[in-house]
Amino acid sequence: MTEKSRLGHFYLFPLTIWSILFFVSPLIIIILYSFLTKDIYGGVIYTFSLKAYQSLIQLTYLKVFWFTLKISVISTAIIMFFAIPVSYYIARSPLKNVLLFLVLIPFWTNFLIRIYAWIAIMGNNGFLNQLLLSLHVLKTNIQFLYNPIAVIVVLVYTYLPFAILPLYAAIDKFDFTLLEASSDLGASRLQGILKVLLPNIRTGLMAAFLFAFIPIFGAYAVPQLVGGQESFMLGNMIARELTITRNWPLASAIATIITLVTCLGILLYIRSVRRSDEKDGK
Amino acid sequence: MNHTKRGIFTTTMVILTLLFFYLPMAVLLLYSFNSSKSMVITGFSLKWYNELFTNSPFLWKAVSNSLIIAVSSAFSAVLIGTLGAIGLRWYSFKLKNLFQIISMLPLLLPEIILGVALLIFFSAFSFPQNLFTVYLSHITFNIPFVLLIVMARLEEFDSTLLEAARDLGAREIDVLMKILIPLTMPAIIAALLMSFTLSLEDFVITFFISGPGSTTLPIYIYSMIRFGVSPVINALSVLIVLATIVLSLFLSKFSKYIINH
Amino acid sequence: MSTYFIITDPFSTIVKEPVNIYDISMLGSSVGIKNISKNFGHFKVLSDINLEIKKGEFFSLLGPSGCGKTTLLRMIAGFDKPDTGSIFLDDRNVTDIASNKRKVNTVFQNYAVFPHLTVFDNIAFGLKLKKIDKKIIQKEVFTFLELVKLNGQERKMPSQLSGGQKQRVAIARALINKPQVLLLDEPLSALDAKLRKELLIELDQIHNEIGITFIYVTHDQEEALGVSDRIAIMKDGKINQIGTSKEIYEKPADAFVAGFIGETNLLKGSLSITENKETKLITEKAGSINILINNPKIKSGASLTVSLRPEKINILPIEPTVKITHECLQGQVKEIVYSGFQSRYFVKTKQNIMNIIKVHEANETRIRRGDKVFLEWEKSDMNIVEFS
Repeated sequence: MTEKSRLGHFYLFPLTIWSILFFVSPLIIIILYSFLTKDIYGGVIYTFSLKAYQSLIQLTYLKVFWFTLKISVISTAIIMFFAIPVSYYIARSPLKNVLLFLVLIPFWTNFLIRIYAWIAIMGNNGFLNQLLLSLHVLKTNIQFLYNPIAVIVVLVYTYLPFAILPLYAAIDKFDFTLLEASSDLGASRLQGILKVLLPNIRTGLMAAFLFAFIPIFGAYAVPQLVGGQESFMLGNMIARELTITRNWPLASAIATIITLVTCLGILLYIRSVRRSDEKDGK
Repeated sequence: MNHTKRGIFTTTMVILTLLFFYLPMAVLLLYSFNSSKSMVITGFSLKWYNELFTNSPFLWKAVSNSLIIAVSSAFSAVLIGTLGAIGLRWYSFKLKNLFQIISMLPLLLPEIILGVALLIFFSAFSFPQNLFTVYLSHITFNIPFVLLIVMARLEEFDSTLLEAARDLGAREIDVLMKILIPLTMPAIIAALLMSFTLSLEDFVITFFISGPGSTTLPIYIYSMIRFGVSPVINALSVLIVLATIVLSLFLSKFSKYIINH
Repeated sequence: MSTYFIITDPFSTIVKEPVNIYDISMLGSSVGIKNISKNFGHFKVLSDINLEIKKGEFFSLLGPSGCGKTTLLRMIAGFDKPDTGSIFLDDRNVTDIASNKRKVNTVFQNYAVFPHLTVFDNIAFGLKLKKIDKKIIQKEVFTFLELVKLNGQERKMPSQLSGGQKQRVAIARALINKPQVLLLDEPLSALDAKLRKELLIELDQIHNEIGITFIYVTHDQEEALGVSDRIAIMKDGKINQIGTSKEIYEKPADAFVAGFIGETNLLKGSLSITENKETKLITEKAGSINILINNPKIKSGASLTVSLRPEKINILPIEPTVKITHECLQGQVKEIVYSGFQSRYFVKTKQNIMNIIKVHEANETRIRRGDKVFLEWEKSDMNIVEFS
């Protein structure tokens, strides 16, 4: 072993031990648990079983999966619809530091406070109701909360900054003389954006998409607090199987599937980054 | 001139987004000074702030738990992550890419996965769930952020700086203490602040890991929201947002290392 | 040796007085490179390099990028290890000795000045590591600040310095450790042309002053020719020629060296020896040219490549009367590039384009594009660079 690689081992030693102990092992354990038999009081019996995966094919679970996917796609689409023009504007603005700061504040603000703020607005007796009642738009209180729309609104609110930041970073690096060149060659503003800007920032787009989609797909707190009965997502199902039904193999199986889906997304992202790096000749 | 290039559409979207971001916060501010216990605006009052500071012992216990965890896990994560970032930046080995992806994965996986995995892991080994397990879990999700931030800083230097130091007679410990650490200091501070903030605001992972004696602030807020809202929460929210703004001001000094990954 | 640049840069502001310093002469050592080879994967970076660099010599490793010169330098510094072969400092084998234990210091291409330390602390870095008394460090630092002409700049941070100043810091920082050999890895390539010349002359002066061995890596032939005692020309991991600047320029060992150092006209053809023992180079493109053959190995019919420097060719508007020792060709001027004190002519002779450089003289007959001209040169200026 050369002196150099010995040093590398020294620097990486704590990280390696930590990753193995508190990240890789827990992940392996849930994968193992997903193939074991459930014990009545939580925990597992150490006999191999595919029951967890078999029960996932039942209609009720498939419905939850479908609902989660639907909510994730809709919320992420709305997020991207806002994030692209906003990060474009920030990157081009002379006030970009101020604007960036204004995006960072909600990003840093406590997650539960952000959810709570929407409960205060949309609740049965909340701000929106008060406002509409005083404007005589409404005659009686309406419950805006506890439905899928409320879940989407709060998810968009929560994860929009996550998409804006990587997109901003990508657009900020974009060479805007390319847009001038394209307009010089006869492209309209929209054509320039669609054919020159977007293809050049596609890894940023991909990162923004993943940063929003992945946590939404595994959302727990938002549907739990503002979703009600009809907005049961995969995250809530894991929690239910874990704490109420105490079916740990099933909870592990759902977690394993979400992990696999996430890893797939990340691998696709890495491949697309590599491909665009190759194109740029890096 | 710059103005004409940005169309009405993008400008509208920015205004809408900023309203969307800040109206909810304004509503909280409004309610925090409302004298009524209900959401009906009745008049100005500081009583919820008063109650927050004088009559909320459980809340302050949660705050102190949160601070203990945030400080200790931030320092631990920065120690492990900084050394790891140095290793990843300057040494190559087999399966480095895989190692790097695994190190980043806690950041990319939905929080609930890490929460569930750690819960099952700790109970499989009959670890008692207390502040210590929360501390361990927070280190785990903070490490990837530290890696990202410190590696971004290290990217700015090439290895000739280290070679120059060795060439001038520096031993490895000198290279670490006299070159690497001082050079990385802005990123180390940024990583500390970021880990601290992330730890303070983590709900999902802590929710699964924490036991009876280890209620952190977000867990406490969650129970306030679920089991009876007292307007104290509005006052608390306003203070937390203010604290966030102060922290963000500090962080924005180092934003270069946080945004551009 | 630096006179070369005084000619090419008449506006240079260099003060030619020796640097005013205390006694800072140091002990240089010789460097021996024995059978060094190095592969990166399947790529041969260095193959069987042998080199003897003398004590106190200003030695340059010159070659295009990717020729292995930097790798060789990094091995002497101790940053890389050869796959096979050994490196000697004086008679000591240092192949397995770490860089921080060799009496060798390096000046890097990108300066590698520590951005978090002041100029003073950068220069003092090596001495502080040795835990030398603070007063001595201070005295030494000021001596070397003066050597590199950075007096009064010691409190500045590297971000406040220009590229040239940073490189001066790097030079002082290396020299303060009293190395026996100073390695310079393209130290001037990041600077602009004028600064490059100034600093090169200063480097030469510093070398003369302190007397240690300098090994200088560059891809810029002008730099290497200007200051080196000897130069090794490298290509594809091998050394093509070792010699003084004059030897390499006047007697290039092969076509690559001839083309890489300065400019040249390469003439290819076959040798023909006439009945009255006249030797002629029969070229396809330029016709038949008289040539001197000193090498008995070259037989009639051999195919030759001959190098002829552009400034060795005389360009005449009328046919010269005496042409016994001279070679003479007829041609037509295709292009003239004026550059101040000299002009460059491209003259077509049959199918060949000859490149000629001529310094302007007073009262010279002006030659225009399209003119019929005559080219003449001494036979001895033709160098055979390849034969088979």
